[in-house]
Amino acid sequence: MKGKKGGKIRKALFAFLAGMGILSIAACGNKGSSKNGVIISEKGEDKVVNLFGPMEKSSPDAKNISRTAFDLTVGMAEERLGLTVEYRTYTAENYQEKTYDDVTLDRVRNGMDDLYLLNPDTIQVLGEEGKLLDLSELDCAKNLREVVKIANTVDGKLVAIPQEVVVHGLFVNKDMFDQYGLKLPETPEDLLECCRVFKENGIETPIGANRWWLENFVFAQAYADLYNGGNTEAEIEALNSGESKYSDYMRPGFEFLQELIDKGYIDAKTAYTYEAIEGEGPDFLAQKTPIVMAYWSAANAETAYGKPDFELQVIGFPSSRGPMPVVSMTGYGINAEAEHLEDTKNVLEIILSDEALQLYAETNNVISPSKNVEVEYIPALQPLKERIEENVYVLGSNAGMKVEQWGNTCLIVRMLLNGSTVDECMAEFDRLQEE
Amino acid sequence: MLSKEVSPLLFSIILVFCILGTVVFAVSRKITEEMSSSAIHNLSESLVLIRGTIEAILMKESEFQQLIAQEIAMMDDPEEFVSTYNRNQTMVKMSIILEGKTEGVSNTSENFSEEGLDFSAGETVGGLPISQSYLNDMGTWAYTMKCPIIRDGEKIACLYIEYIYDSFDEALPEGFYNGSAMLYIMDAESERLVLKPKGMGERNAGHVNLEDFYRANRILEEDLQEEVAECIDQGKDIMFYHDIQEQHSLIYMWAVNDGAIYLIGYVPIEAIQQEGRTVNQNILVVVIVMLVAFFLCCLLYYLNQRQQMRVRKEREKEREMHNKQLAEALQAAQVASNSKTMFLSNMSHDIRTPMNAILGFTALLGKDAENPSKVREYTNKIMASGQHLLSLINDILDVSKIESGKVVLTIGEFTIEDLMSSVDTIIRPMANAKGQNLHTSVTGLKHEYLEGDETRINQVLINLLSNAVKYTPNGGNIWFRIIGLEQYSSQFEHIRFEVEDDGYGMTQEFLKTIFEAFTRAENSTTNKVQGTGLGMAITKNIVELMGGTIEVSSEVGQGSLFRVELELRILDEQGIKKEEDKAEEDMEEFSLEGLHLLAAEDNEINAEILLELLDIEGINCEIVENGKLAVERFANSEEGEFDAILMDVQMPIMNGYEATKAIRRLEREDASKIPIIAMTANAFAEDVKEALDAGMNVHVAKPIDMELLRKVIYQCMQRKD
Repeated sequence: MKGKKGGKIRKALFAFLAGMGILSIAACGNKGSSKNGVIISEKGEDKVVNLFGPMEKSSPDAKNISRTAFDLTVGMAEERLGLTVEYRTYTAENYQEKTYDDVTLDRVRNGMDDLYLLNPDTIQVLGEEGKLLDLSELDCAKNLREVVKIANTVDGKLVAIPQEVVVHGLFVNKDMFDQYGLKLPETPEDLLECCRVFKENGIETPIGANRWWLENFVFAQAYADLYNGGNTEAEIEALNSGESKYSDYMRPGFEFLQELIDKGYIDAKTAYTYEAIEGEGPDFLAQKTPIVMAYWSAANAETAYGKPDFELQVIGFPSSRGPMPVVSMTGYGINAEAEHLEDTKNVLEIILSDEALQLYAETNNVISPSKNVEVEYIPALQPLKERIEENVYVLGSNAGMKVEQWGNTCLIVRMLLNGSTVDECMAEFDRLQEE
Repeated sequence: MLSKEVSPLLFSIILVFCILGTVVFAVSRKITEEMSSSAIHNLSESLVLIRGTIEAILMKESEFQQLIAQEIAMMDDPEEFVSTYNRNQTMVKMSIILEGKTEGVSNTSENFSEEGLDFSAGETVGGLPISQSYLNDMGTWAYTMKCPIIRDGEKIACLYIEYIYDSFDEALPEGFYNGSAMLYIMDAESERLVLKPKGMGERNAGHVNLEDFYRANRILEEDLQEEVAECIDQGKDIMFYHDIQEQHSLIYMWAVNDGAIYLIGYVPIEAIQQEGRTVNQNILVVVIVMLVAFFLCCLLYYLNQRQQMRVRKEREKEREMHNKQLAEALQAAQVASNSKTMFLSNMSHDIRTPMNAILGFTALLGKDAENPSKVREYTNKIMASGQHLLSLINDILDVSKIESGKVVLTIGEFTIEDLMSSVDTIIRPMANAKGQNLHTSVTGLKHEYLEGDETRINQVLINLLSNAVKYTPNGGNIWFRIIGLEQYSSQFEHIRFEVEDDGYGMTQEFLKTIFEAFTRAENSTTNKVQGTGLGMAITKNIVELMGGTIEVSSEVGQGSLFRVELELRILDEQGIKKEEDKAEEDMEEFSLEGLHLLAAEDNEINAEILLELLDIEGINCEIVENGKLAVERFANSEEGEFDAILMDVQMPIMNGYEATKAIRRLEREDASKIPIIAMTANAFAEDVKEALDAGMNVHVAKPIDMELLRKVIYQCMQRKD
């Protein structure tokens, strides 16, 4: 016993001395220089892909799940391809500055970057200009849902592919609705009634709006029948041929918005200047405003409405066919004259692969553009999800329509916010259709 | 419990360590401070270098623009030259407005006016006015410098060249502080961040403006922001410490081109103090290694000391043990001495009592020799006293053997039935004689045939039972129980022997010494009981020799209970009985009649008794007076004349041992074969051994037990055959 103990001590001592010896030898090692002491600095040629994307104004310590999910997939691409995706951003400081879309158009046209995250209007504009690469040959394009392909195809070319299907809905404070005994609105009339009750109970502006997303009210009412009436292609063809007028579709929505503005349910002045979420978000989170509008994943993002102190519900926009989700697409497009074209295509193949989209959808809790990817959703999104599963929705952007919808409608809604009449707005639609 | 010697030593060690720790801490701190200062200096140098590079680029742009302006001045159609000038990565747009006009042309095929360009801040580069930063039609941040085109001393136009901040990108260090430092270019007037890092993620991809930079990095102290704003207004270089993303960081704002633009960013202190940290880590490693080495030495020293201490303690313990043994030996010697005195006293009494009877009755025998009934009575009493005297001597021998450790158990086969029977045969008459009731029982035994020293077990049980008879008054009860207990091993029978009586009982004081030699319960009731006082000591020693235990409980007037527990090996039951029976039968069938023995016996009385006893058995015996005569007689005898020799040991001229050796040495065929039986009063174990070593075949102790002698002679004859 004693012998064993002594042996252990001897072994420990020996191990300690050996460790010290190795440390000493390692410390005396001379690395990084030749025998003559010449230090050579090697400069590797790094492969780079330049990505241009939007950026929210920074919030300390806040986690943007959406961005994180994207980062994860980009990290996957960087690791597998051994390159660096350099991320360049732009955010308008205020409404008077150029918008992200304006800057995107400029940058794509001047070939500033390789890869872009594009909004629906820019997808259509740049697609028509032939500035974006046709992505239909990519492997990752093969698993896309049909709706995604339709929405991003311009002149027969698939010019953009999203990582998520962006669904816009009304974000409501269910607690406040319960407080005043209100049912969640399904039709425009329901919403008006809810707003009346809120207003009467001292809530100054029942609907928090920004300068980007009011158009969803218009789309929901304009295209509820078009996309859900069973005659979609014919109606779109009629619009494209000029037989039907966009203004006829758009008018009810604009009139509805006008009524909301006139009755003080929407503050047009602030809405015209507010950036998305940044403007109306604080009042919604502070429970001063019971209704706002936003995209699906804002319900998961801490930077948006991911951690409210109340019961959040996300429902469709009111329409004659009940709550109507508005589906729009933001997608990744490659500059047709990208400096690093092959690397960029490879990056896209990876970040839009089923594996990456599964990771993205799980992280961000969104509807994936790939038909092979399904995930669980948070309860707040359940009403919106049910409508999507029933295939009840309208498209906020459709590259099949000759008149670009998302960007133009947004601009015309701003005209309304800025004091134009509904007729003037409709005239603008007519003008665009004629062009 | 720290001894007075250890405490100062410990205090000194702690003091040395404290001083050492303080010195190391001071050195480490000084190194940290110097390295920190050096790191900040290095950072400043780097920022100055970057600023120099950016300013050099701006200056080159300015000089180049002036050269172009000079070139254009010499041309006939400046607008034509400008509109056809190709844009490049640095000069993304070139425009000209002729003197006196508000609109001109540019190389992007657009009309150009100064509208949208803000030169109001009055900043210049190389004498050329530089505009505030703006987002150009490429979607990137840009600035424009304007340069007058002078021909013959007269300004004929103004040349505007737009540059983009992206062109500075190449001039900035890649991975500033291994990528842990952030570097932005900020337009001082608008506080917009016009060139940002190109990393991944929200923070790494840059912020919108200074306000956003403050918000994102929680630099929210208003007085700090005001002070910074003041410095920026004055175009000063500044640095300040602040936590950014929970890391202590150094924020820097370095004025470029007299504060028109700023290099801003932050670097974690850890990143710039890497060298200092490495040095401190190395110091720490050295200190730890030294401490480990020190404690290792202490450990070795401690182990060595402990070893020595243990050896010392062992020696002391050994010494103490020796002292104790010596003391015990001394005490034992004293006790032995006392015991011997007491023993002699007891012996004197115990021997004299039967001796008195023997001599008295012998005297009476002389007188009443003519009266046969008296003679028979006296000889019976003489025999009884003689038997008592013999048992006393046997007990003394037993004690002597046990104390000298020479008792050897004779392991044999026996049955519990036989054991009970033999004990009962001896004890029941004794009990009956006193009108006592002896109750015997055997319970719980699983095996009948066992292995052990039956004689010794008998001795123990008879001892206990005879004591019970002795110390129980007439008409009392004695119980003898043999109880089978739960076996510890399947190969051993676990037996308890219980001897209980309702006799006089013993005091508690006596119980403490009952198993010591020469103790005897003595009181007015029992002092009439005869005994050597050795029986219980012998009993206990025998029981322990057999690996058993003995216990006693008793109360005065209530009786006593002795419990003996033994483990005896279990035997196969077959065959044992047959062998025993056969031996008995053979023995009974054999007759010693007609044997011719030679006996060497110097004592005439003993010789006569021997002759008489052998004669009763029909054995013819020739007596010689010493060993020498025995040797001579045997040598002169014919071969086969004597069947065996009975040899006393202590004899004059030649003792029994020498005589035996001499006989064995004789050159005749039967010298080695003839059985020689030692027949002596030297009855100790060493005597037996010595007899056997001398060449004798067997040892029989005096006084002669004829039955035993008969058996021995029979066995010798058997072997001889």
